Amino acid sequence: MAISLTLVAGSFAGAALLPWTLGRLSAHALAVLPLAVCATLFAYGNDILAAGGETVRWAWVESLGIALAFRIDAFSLLFATLISAIGALVVIYAASYMDHGTERLRFLSLILAFMAAMLGAVFANDVILFFVFWELTSVLSFLLIGFKSEDAEARRAANQALMVTAGGGLALLAGLLLVANIAGTTEITAIVAQGEAITADPLFPAALVLVLAGAFSKSAQVPFQFWLANAMAAPTPASAYLHSATMVKLGIFLLIVLDPAFGHSELWQTLLVGFGGATMLVAAVQALRVERFKAVLAQTTVAALGTLTLLVGLDNPVAAVATVGFFLSHALYKAALFFVAGNAIHATGVARLSQMSGLFRALPLTAIAAVVASLSMAGLPPFIGFIAKELLFEAKLTSAGISALLAVAVIVNAVLVAVAAVVALRPFFGREQKPATLRHRERFGLVIGPIMLAGLGAAFGLAPGLASSAILADAASVAAGEQIDTKLKLWHGLTPMLALSGLAVGVGAFLAWQWEAVHRMLARVSVPTPMHAERLFDRLGGLVLACARTSTAAMQNGSLRRYTLVPLLAATALIVFALARTGIAVPDLTFDRPYIIGIVGVLVIGSALAALARSFLTVLVGVGLVGYALGVLFLKKGAPDLAFTQFAVETVFVVIATAVVLRLPASALDARTIRQKRVDGAVALSLGAASTLLAISLLASPFDERVSDYFRLASYTEAFGRNVVNVIIVDFRALDTLGEIGVVALAAVAAFGLMRGLRLRAKRSLP
Amino acid sequence: MKGVSGRHGTRPVLPSPILAASAGLLATLMAAVAVIILLRGHNAPGGGFIGGLVGAGALVVIAYAFGVRKAQRLLRVHPVALAGWGLALALISGLPGLLGGVPYLTHLWGDIESEVGVLKVGTTYVFDLGVFLVVVGAVSAFFFLFEEN
Repeated sequence: MAISLTLVAGSFAGAALLPWTLGRLSAHALAVLPLAVCATLFAYGNDILAAGGETVRWAWVESLGIALAFRIDAFSLLFATLISAIGALVVIYAASYMDHGTERLRFLSLILAFMAAMLGAVFANDVILFFVFWELTSVLSFLLIGFKSEDAEARRAANQALMVTAGGGLALLAGLLLVANIAGTTEITAIVAQGEAITADPLFPAALVLVLAGAFSKSAQVPFQFWLANAMAAPTPASAYLHSATMVKLGIFLLIVLDPAFGHSELWQTLLVGFGGATMLVAAVQALRVERFKAVLAQTTVAALGTLTLLVGLDNPVAAVATVGFFLSHALYKAALFFVAGNAIHATGVARLSQMSGLFRALPLTAIAAVVASLSMAGLPPFIGFIAKELLFEAKLTSAGISALLAVAVIVNAVLVAVAAVVALRPFFGREQKPATLRHRERFGLVIGPIMLAGLGAAFGLAPGLASSAILADAASVAAGEQIDTKLKLWHGLTPMLALSGLAVGVGAFLAWQWEAVHRMLARVSVPTPMHAERLFDRLGGLVLACARTSTAAMQNGSLRRYTLVPLLAATALIVFALARTGIAVPDLTFDRPYIIGIVGVLVIGSALAALARSFLTVLVGVGLVGYALGVLFLKKGAPDLAFTQFAVETVFVVIATAVVLRLPASALDARTIRQKRVDGAVALSLGAASTLLAISLLASPFDERVSDYFRLASYTEAFGRNVVNVIIVDFRALDTLGEIGVVALAAVAAFGLMRGLRLRAKRSLP
Repeated sequence: MKGVSGRHGTRPVLPSPILAASAGLLATLMAAVAVIILLRGHNAPGGGFIGGLVGAGALVVIAYAFGVRKAQRLLRVHPVALAGWGLALALISGLPGLLGGVPYLTHLWGDIESEVGVLKVGTTYVFDLGVFLVVVGAVSAFFFLFEEN
């Protein structure tokens, strides 16, 4: 059995079933799902790597060559391990962090589904399949960010994240389709193998820009960076997951997967290095401007994502090692720091860094985790962050155009040092300005995550062989597209990299010392242009809404008459147009069924009643007569299914319409003027005449029986049903039906949501 | 279930003693007919769509005679949730085919043999049941919403 497919399918099944079974007993027990995934990866990882990875392929849309194809290589193995391991810690953390029963379960099932979608994206070996999981992560992160849905800010942030990432996803789809078209296959490994041919294609620049738009929007590169900071509206466990091991890393993952194929393209290198560097700088400035604990961390995530993008864009083997090393070290310390932030916020109820102080005595374990993780973020020895950062400097030193890159790297690193110092020292060791009111002390579930992650960062730093031998070397080889021999070392001797590190630490320490002053200074400066992207986004959104309002006002003015007149006139015009083109044909009409007269008689009486009646109830009776007469006609002409539906719909319609009518004042039956009545009558008559002519003409053309013959013959032999209509609905065209009931169900959800929204607004407007 | 029952939820819409007396019987009959229509649909006129409409009609009759809240209680689950479950069921019904190596939504059939004869059963029944639930859920949701406003 394929491990990749088993893990993805099992995770989805577990996410759907476990919360409402196991989760009712204990929310903490839900960690068993990510732990099982993690254990499987540990158990079989070495075997899979020894066998050169795993690829499996299941038929999906064979006619288009799209398959449920999965693969595991060293890099996806590393990423999947991070996703499941940090996922387990997030579940344990969230189980302690969230209070309410059902709300907590809802949150945890979202987290588990999110993990499943991430695993699917990481293992997918088909661009279409990958895209499906990619968009699934966007939708799930929308639900996570907007989890506190009664909070307007959370709703706005969730909408924004969805618009940006799903909008980018559409660009990605277009780009992936172009790439697949050039390569002649949708299989990712096959695409990557054809890198040279793809980059030589004239369509490659277009494909590349589209793919990058998707990856950049997901990974919050300039100019899309704004959604990530706003996404802090999500509950902290979700932020920890989104920022460390999931969502935002998926864009980087895509870049790393494509790098072996596109890496030698100059356009690829220029765009990645350019946007990555710009993102780093913008995020560094923002990190010094913001005040909330989580927002500061969010900006360092953006900076880290910029760093990763830039590293992928550098075309040398050291950069590949640095990418993977930084990928790992960032995941570890960022998840730990979000957990720490969550603990501090949860315990104090305060979100601003400047209002937290002296928490060490109350939250000692959290404080220790904060210090250890921060040291890794600051890139100080002996932590994995130090190794990653040395590699980063080395990668830039060995690349062309180094001076500018090095300057950016040093500045950003200095900011990271400053942020590390501020978030580790201020809340926990700062002088106590006022006694912080403490809601609770540390709980086991809230400290196990940060302690373990911070400890792991230290372990990998102290014993770098552990990381490099286990997985990093192979993963870096995948990222580089060639075999790389990696030996991570903590101490390289006195190198230029060390000097740069020293410079960064010095500047960072100064920034941390002058934190308040820097803050005040930056607050006065106007925002640099890349940060205007959010305003542009808002203006664009406003424009769309304005268009909607204008068109609604023009088309839906509340006059039912107009709503009916416009489509009826349009239909008449279309029929007349069609008839004018083809001409009217007259078939030989033989009259051999006298019962038709009776049915037509009822139809005429019903229509006349509906048109002339003065009471709504009589109108309904008339309309009902027409419907039932039509039903009888269907029945007689050999369409019992249609007749059945007609009777059922007619009955429900008459019942519901009666309910409406009984509420309406009987006197306001018909407020039309004589002239309006004449217009209506003319429209009705012309549509009736046109349709009649159309029907007659249709009867004159010979009936093509191939399709109906096919269905009649295949209905029982292939689908074991004698009712052709039903067989078509549930078997031959089942996908259509699925789409239709999807629309029906969505309409019900939308109507319900709309009504609830109206009711809430009505309630709020009351004093 | 919260939300659907509003201020007017318990008020009988039509204070008609005839309706009140016959509604229970009528609704039971309609529900039974709905299920029969659903089940016979594969070989004779019927199926999930029509069955669902009749089923929703049964709920509408109850809501008329005794108010929306009573119909809600009979349904037990939220109508929107019912539609969701129906959709999920229809989606799931296509999976067995996938595992069997044929395209999604290719329905599988098997025989159940007994003394009476051989009964053919297939995943289409699951699919049709999904359609049925979506229609019942959506139509009754619309009706309940309307009745309350």
